[in-house]
Formats: sequence, C-alpha cells, structure tokens
Amino acid sequence: MGCIRTIIAAALATTAIGNIANAEELRMSWWGGDSRHKATQEALKVCGEKLGHTINPEFTGWDGHFQKVATQLAGGTEADIMQINWPWLPIFSKEGTGFADLNDFADTIDLSQWSADELASSTRDGHLNGLPASVSGRLFFFNKTTWDKAGLPLPTTMEDVMAAGPIFAEKLGDNYYPLEGTGLDASLMIQMIVTQQTGKSFINPETNEVQWTADELKAGIDMYQAMLDNHVLKSWPDMAAAGNVPLFENADWSNGMIGGSYQWDTTYSKINDPLADGQELVAVGLLRVDGAQNDGVYRKPSMVFSISAHSDKQQAAAEVLNCLLNEPEGIAAMGSERGVPSSDVAAAQLLADGGIEQIQVDAQDMVMAAEAPAISAFNEDPDVRAGIEDTLELYAYGEIDSTETADEILMLVNEAMEDK
Amino acid sequence: MMGGDNRFLGMAYVSPYIIGLLVFTAFPFLASLYLSFTDYDLLSTPKWVGLDNYERLFTRDRTFDKSLSVTLFYVFMTVPLKLAFALLVAVVLNYKLKAIGFFRTAYYVPSILGGSIAIAVLWRYIFAEAGLVNMMLTGLGFEAVNWFGDPQNAMFTLVLLRCWQFGSAMVIFLAALQSVDKSLYEAAAIDGANKWHVFRYITVPLITPVIFFNLIMQTVQAFQEFNGPYIITNGGPLKSTYLLPMYIYDKAFKSFDMGYASAIAWILFVIIMVLTVVAFWSSKKWVYYAGDKRS
Repeated sequence: MGCIRTIIAAALATTAIGNIANAEELRMSWWGGDSRHKATQEALKVCGEKLGHTINPEFTGWDGHFQKVATQLAGGTEADIMQINWPWLPIFSKEGTGFADLNDFADTIDLSQWSADELASSTRDGHLNGLPASVSGRLFFFNKTTWDKAGLPLPTTMEDVMAAGPIFAEKLGDNYYPLEGTGLDASLMIQMIVTQQTGKSFINPETNEVQWTADELKAGIDMYQAMLDNHVLKSWPDMAAAGNVPLFENADWSNGMIGGSYQWDTTYSKINDPLADGQELVAVGLLRVDGAQNDGVYRKPSMVFSISAHSDKQQAAAEVLNCLLNEPEGIAAMGSERGVPSSDVAAAQLLADGGIEQIQVDAQDMVMAAEAPAISAFNEDPDVRAGIEDTLELYAYGEIDSTETADEILMLVNEAMEDK
Repeated sequence: MMGGDNRFLGMAYVSPYIIGLLVFTAFPFLASLYLSFTDYDLLSTPKWVGLDNYERLFTRDRTFDKSLSVTLFYVFMTVPLKLAFALLVAVVLNYKLKAIGFFRTAYYVPSILGGSIAIAVLWRYIFAEAGLVNMMLTGLGFEAVNWFGDPQNAMFTLVLLRCWQFGSAMVIFLAALQSVDKSLYEAAAIDGANKWHVFRYITVPLITPVIFFNLIMQTVQAFQEFNGPYIITNGGPLKSTYLLPMYIYDKAFKSFDMGYASAIAWILFVIIMVLTVVAFWSSKKWVYYAGDKRS
C-alpha cells in the first residue's frame, strides 16, 4: 500500500513539475482607453490562470504606441503578443517575416473562426501575420440628447447636418455644434465625401496610385469649408483651444456641446464612457452627400493580434491568443472593447450573452452594409497622413485656398507613395 | 605613487562609468553620424546615400526651415528670460529674510518637477479653453484667450513653462551671490554707492563666470526641449511650436527615416556647438575670474 502511495505521489509530483515547466512568463502590449485596458487585463488574468502562464500587460493610449512598437521591433524587445494596427503590417512586415507566421500554430489556434477573406487581409507574402480582432469603419455617431435639445431629429443625409448648424447656434448657443472634425477626422470626412462624389477611393489598393484629380479633391475641401461656414463644425483654432487632447478627453464632448463625431465604430465605448449622465450616443451610419455614387465607407480590419517573430515563447503566446479570442473565458473577459469580434465563436458568444451592446451591433452592421471601393493600407502611412493633415491645417487657418490645398496634398501624397 | 595593483583597482572603480560612456554616449553619437549618411528605416540594413540627406535638408525641406526658425526663436526668447528671472529671484532670496529656507525650497521645486510629463499635462489643462488661466481672466472681466489655437499664444505657453523652471539656475546664482566678498559691499557703501550701482558694478561682474555657465547650460537644454511641445501642443498649431527635437522624433519614429533624422540631429549639434564656441569666444570680453589680471 505504501509502495502504491509512493508511486501515486511520484506521479502527481511529476505532473506538477511538468505543469510548472510549461508555465511561461509572457508580455502582451496594446493601446486603447480605460475600458479596454480593464477588460484586457482581466482576460489575461483569466487565460493565464487557465493555461498556467503569467502574462504581463503593457498598455498605453493611442498616441505614441506606434513609435513604441517600432522601437521595440527594431531592438527585438517587443512583447510576445501585440495588438497591431492593420495599416502597420506593410510597414513592420514588408515581406511577411516581421511577425510570427500564425499558420505554424494552426494546431493551437482555431483559425477556422475567421473567414478566408479576413485571414487574407492580414496575410503578407503567404505569412499570416495577425488575427483580425474586428472589422472597423468610420461612421457618424450623434449625441441624441443634444440634438433633441436643439429640437432636431437625427440626420439622415449630409444636407441635414449642414442645415443643423445654424439651428444649433440659434437654439443652443454659439458654443454648440452638430459635429466635430479636425485633424484625422477632418481628412477622413473629406475622403468620405470625395469617395461618394467620385465613386473612387483615394489610393488604389491594387496599384498604390492616387486616383483623385485636384478638382475632385477641391470639391471635397470646399464642402468641408461649407460645413465650417455653416456652424456645423467648430473651427480648427477653436478646437485646438482645448489643448492637445483626444475627443474623449474633450470637455465639450463630455458635456454634449459637440453633437456628433465621425469615428471608428469600435471606439464606441471610448467616446461613450466620458459622456455626462443622461446623454445618449447613437450611431447613424454613413450620411450621403447629394449625388453620391456610394456610401464612401472607410472600412478595414481594425487591428490584429500578432506574435513576435523574436519570441522564444511563441507556442505559449499562441495558446494565450487562442484563449483570448476563441475560448469562452477569454471571450467573456475581453468583451466587445475592440468592437464586434471577427472570431465567429466570440461574436456568437457575446451576442448570446449580451456581451455586446445593441448600438455596437447596429454600428457594425451599418459599416458592413455600406458600399464603397476598397481602401489602401497606405492611407494611414505616416507620411501620407502628415501630407494631408498638415496641408489641411494650413487651409483651415486661412494660409492657402482650396485649390492650393488640393494641389499640395496630391503632390505630397504622390511623393510619399514613390517609395512604397 | 600608485602601484600596479592600485592602478588596476582604480581602473576597476571607474570602469562602469567608462563603459557607460562608451556604450550609451560615444557609440550612439558616432553611429548617428554614420546613419546621417544612410537611408535607414530602422527595420532593415542602412544603405549609404552620401550627402543626400543633408542636400534634402537644405534645399527641399520646408518643415526643417520652419522648425529651425521656431527653435531659434524659442531658444533666444527663453534663455535670456529664464536667466534674468532666475537671477532676480536669487538676489531676493539672498536677503536674510524670515523663513528664507522655506522660500528657497519653494522656488526650487518647480525646476525639479518642471521637465516632467505630469507638469506638461498640468500645463495643458491650466491653459486650456476652460482652464485655470482663462477662468481667472474671465473672473477679472477680461476675455478668455485661445492659448493653444493661436500660433503666437501657443509658443508663449511653452516659453512660460521653460521660464517657470528657473530653480536650478537660481540655486547656482544664489551660491555665487553668497560667495561674493562682503568687504566689497562695505567699501561701496562707504563710497556712497546705491543698491543698483552695487549690483551693476560689483555683484554682476563677480558672478559672470556663473552667468556664463548658466548661459551655456540653459542654451543647450533649450535646444533639446521635447516634453513641452510634444505633450502640450503637439508642435502646433501650424508648426508654430514644432521644435527640432520633435521633428527629429517624428522623422525617426513616425516616418522611419532614421538616416534623415540623424542628419537633422547633427545639424542641431553643429548649431549648439557654434553658439557655444561663440559664447566662449565672447566670454573673454565679459567674464571675470578671480585672479584675472585684466582690468
């Protein structure tokens, strides 16, 4: 009997030692707002306990995260698991070798939860560089409470938005605006308008060539100016007065003085959380201009989860990734902080459990249903963005007119695209 | 005389510093010089391009021109203002006042906190549209000012932040003021000199070595300012606060143009070096050291 006990004890000890030997200490990095940080930390705790790994979180806001990841990748010190913005893939992984090929972990990660198109979108040169967290697109969110106060129904066309500006000023005061749009938001709004008007996306994703003429771009800029003139948008200098803060930290947004924004559908929680009590945020989808040929939706995989090519714990990282994206505990903890999940099993579980708010589902449906030509990942290339936004700022401050703005943007973007 | 064993021990003691200097200062310094002649995107091998980066800088880069002019304006505004303010406060704190220790500490604290991210964030909120400064202005019956949306006002907030960090220069001035021989003041008083004459003809000449030291240090630090514009204004509006260190950072870590960023860094280094050399050259005319034979 004593002998059997000894054998059982030895077997248990061996098993325990085996588990300890498999336990890894990993790092995972991401950007986001407070609600995403909390949910992801909880998910790492849950999956860590389930798998016997320890996963140290490394999280920041959006600003500076790109630079942080770039520096880490250059030095080979990146986290084992990373949340990567989809447009960064061609920058960090030109030949597909910048991240681990997740096809190599098909035994661990259930890749069947993503469609072939979704996996193709994050595949470079045959290497699956990341798993899409969700598909994201820009659409209009409006603060229904503010619009109600102005005595207006939520807009269904850009014309409605344009007409709302003077009414906001008259009924609520000069400090109330139906919409906001400076910097990136302004440039993407103009892209939406011109895509609707021309039926063409800005940069052809197949050829990497700019497709708009200067006149086409000028028409979009002129419409943006009309929005400024009609009290639809707060001017750039006035928006800048709040300081270098994102929308969700802007007091005018929190207290409802800004009545709407053109944002990623996945940022719902981030922009909804800071709203003062009693205010309701509603997604209304893409609004069309007169004579629009399509919805002009700017839609893309929002972000992907990648595993470091330098990590010596890739197997453990793959286990954690599968837990976060495909296993019930991880899915529940991650919630919908990155939008409606692309993983089928995760989306189904969250829908069944009420883990996704109806507005997020509605917003996602609007983005997916909207029509527009495919966009290029180079739209978010840093030099392309700088060329557009710096020039638009000059225009917004009255330094150049819309003709010069259109010419300058096309010149700078073409120059930036030369090396791509 | 140091024996062989002691020499080895001495080398061992200083080796951590020497190694640190070589690895973390000398190597990056020389590497950036090499990289400034290359096309290097951080993730692949640098490609030698000769003087291309410098040629592009001086002939085709309008952002560099703007950033350089903004940086020079910032330096030439902040350095004299900060030095004058630090000297003024040091003179006041040199008097034997009640609770003078408390005041010296209180005035020094901002320089400890001044360069931190937290203070930059605080500054952003103080000068925001609905921030403390505008609340005070409107409370006094003035109109609120758009500090960050107006290019000139935005630069003013950064200049003010830099001047607010006068503590370290002030402490050095204070130490210099306390080292001035009191008998000179007594002699001046007997001769009927007023306070301004005493300050102008006795105090200032005797602390010129310290003024010179602070001038060099503050100039170098002002050229390297990054936190303020990055956190408070993000270089805007219209690049009115886009100092060269921010441009270097953006080129290196946003555009992945590390070779070009290195070239800008070397131009910045040359500018600082030239100004320092000019300062040293001019110091022969206005800096007086103890035992100096000049009259």
